[in-house]
Amino acid sequence: MIDPLQFTRGILGTVQNFTLMVFRAFRYMMVHFRVRESLLEMDRLGVGSIPIVFLANLFAGLDMALQFSVVMAPYGATNLLGKVVATSVIRDMGPVLASLVMSARVTAGITSELGMMATTQQIEALLVMGVDPVDRLVAPKILAGMVMLPVLSVVGDFLGVLAGLAVAMFGAHVPAPLYWSGVRTALTLPNLVNGIAKPFVFGFILVSIGCYYGLRTTGGAQGVGRSTTKAVVYAAIWILVANFLISKLLIDVWGWKL
Amino acid sequence: MIRLENVTVAYGSRVILEEIDLEIPTGKTMVILGESGSGKTTILKCVLGTLHPVKGRVLANGQDISTLNESDLLRFRQRMGMVFQEGALFDSLTVGENVAFWLWEHTSLSDEEVETRVRTLLRFVGLENSIDFKPSDLSGGMRRRVAIARAMAAEDPAFMLYDEPTTGLDPFTSKSICDLMRRVQREFTTTNIVVTHDLTDAYRVGDLFTFIKDAKIIATGSRQDIEHSHDPFIKTFLSLDS
Repeated sequence: MIDPLQFTRGILGTVQNFTLMVFRAFRYMMVHFRVRESLLEMDRLGVGSIPIVFLANLFAGLDMALQFSVVMAPYGATNLLGKVVATSVIRDMGPVLASLVMSARVTAGITSELGMMATTQQIEALLVMGVDPVDRLVAPKILAGMVMLPVLSVVGDFLGVLAGLAVAMFGAHVPAPLYWSGVRTALTLPNLVNGIAKPFVFGFILVSIGCYYGLRTTGGAQGVGRSTTKAVVYAAIWILVANFLISKLLIDVWGWKL
Repeated sequence: MIRLENVTVAYGSRVILEEIDLEIPTGKTMVILGESGSGKTTILKCVLGTLHPVKGRVLANGQDISTLNESDLLRFRQRMGMVFQEGALFDSLTVGENVAFWLWEHTSLSDEEVETRVRTLLRFVGLENSIDFKPSDLSGGMRRRVAIARAMAAEDPAFMLYDEPTTGLDPFTSKSICDLMRRVQREFTTTNIVVTHDLTDAYRVGDLFTFIKDAKIIATGSRQDIEHSHDPFIKTFLSLDS
């Protein structure tokens, strides 16, 4: 039986500790920027994730173009395929898909790495050596996530649009120039801001949640497994929540413009 | 000098240490003995400042650790070396990088100067040839040696804390680690606290001995004082080990 008081206290405690960790990480980014560690993390988080983000966006672009062409063909609207595919990919599918795929790879990787460090007293060793783990481990990772996810997302978006072109040309018989002119009309400021702001926030979410649960791991190998599962699930959920909130915010700012 | 004054540590209603008074003179080694779960490691955590007592004070060279804020604590710990039970080496770094870590973080030495210091420290613990190895390539004894070298990387470590430094090692390796700990104390005049449950190793490294039972200190003194104790727990502990 869950004690509501204890449950509420647990949630408030988590929010407080998470906020403190994030606040400290941003303070370290400002006052004690670690260039070498940040570049290393960007390489590990970003460059290492290129193949899976590419694959995910490629098949998502193919599938989306296929589904849209089936729906649009009866209305003779397949000439709008480029605009529809590009808008969907840039505004929503690209960032969300890249982030969800990355959460499986990056969040799980970070949590298990920090979790193992916590259970083998390596985190304690850092503290004893006068080094704050948030400074050495968390801040460079968060920064890398916030920089690399938008980059991966943009490249992934391009691949998704390119995959859509293949379906448009060979499935829906839409000429390439017509498809590309549709894509060009989708490259509006609201869409581009959507496409960059979302992965920026998602990058923060998936890395910071991974770091938080990693650092708080206890209980050996089983504890590492538990923390990793928790971090991946929460990261995925918060990415979807943030996606809706950012969409709503940007629609409120720009209205129903595409 | 390290001094614990009337220190009580508790997690909720569970008392881990109760009104502990302990003094470790400068340059001496205090060995803390007791059963598993008796609160031995908690004393180390209080001295490190990773755990704050609910009552009492922890003084290191006159400075009250329990009142320091996070950044002052990080600075204070720079003069402290800690050797963990399994070494707690950073497994993503090589042996040399592990030892160099403190120097990278807290000094502006050039790469050449760092390497010279790292080689000196590794030579001191007899592992200069393992500088490029990863911790996973090392035996338990070698890992403890690297941990000692890493703990000494600070230019002038004032305090060395050892948490079960010989647990899981064979008798020969245990003796060599104890000899190394003695050398560190002699050559660097450090004030040491060693937590162990192994009496043979305790006698090898210790100047003073403290027994903890049920969160309380039941005896403190020299080897003679301990051996002549009439406390039934200490008598049993000594007889079981012999």
